[in-house]
Amino acid sequence: MTDAEIRAQIYDQFLHSGIAPSSLEIGDDEALKRLADGRVIVLDDAGEILMAPPFSAVPTPFLVFTANLRAFGNCIWDALGIAAMTKSDAVIAASCGDCGASMHVDVANGAVDGSGLIHFAIPARLWWQNIVFT
Amino acid sequence: MLLFRDEEHIDRWCAQWHQPRGAILSLEAGWRLAQAWHGPDRRDPEWRRRTVEETESLFASLNLLGDFWRLR
Repeated sequence: MTDAEIRAQIYDQFLHSGIAPSSLEIGDDEALKRLADGRVIVLDDAGEILMAPPFSAVPTPFLVFTANLRAFGNCIWDALGIAAMTKSDAVIAASCGDCGASMHVDVANGAVDGSGLIHFAIPARLWWQNIVFT
Repeated sequence: MLLFRDEEHIDRWCAQWHQPRGAILSLEAGWRLAQAWHGPDRRDPEWRRRTVEETESLFASLNLLGDFWRLR
């Protein structure tokens, strides 16, 4: 498979199940590394998919529910991104980064509703220096 | 990018993590950015990451201006 086909396989699985395919399922570690080098995905130390933005392969405080999908975003921007990518209404179950209080954000009919503020801590040009913290 | 109840909670998080205050967006602004950034279907064979110039242009179109959003 080409790298583009593997990228499609990764996103197809996330969009249908909310979880990442394993490297064994992909069967091409070199292609995964090329996608990671190209900043399309992020791999963990074992070579497994950690992020395929906006999706997270591990649980986070940004759980997104749509009619057909339950998936974790890497951050609140990515949680909104899952709603944008699926082009569907969504409920985001999140929590305050400071106090942990439960917060809900709704996306319905193309508009967002909820309370709270989004804080981008890292300047845009430095996002990929530590993408996990970002 | 974290979600906070209000600015007081952002400032407390910044103090704890020894981070300067970054950029604060409303949910509406974050939603507009999410739609622009994550809207394209990454399963499309023609999909590719944006160039620096394209990303700068996208930020500017959403009024995300200033040093924080600069890429070079």
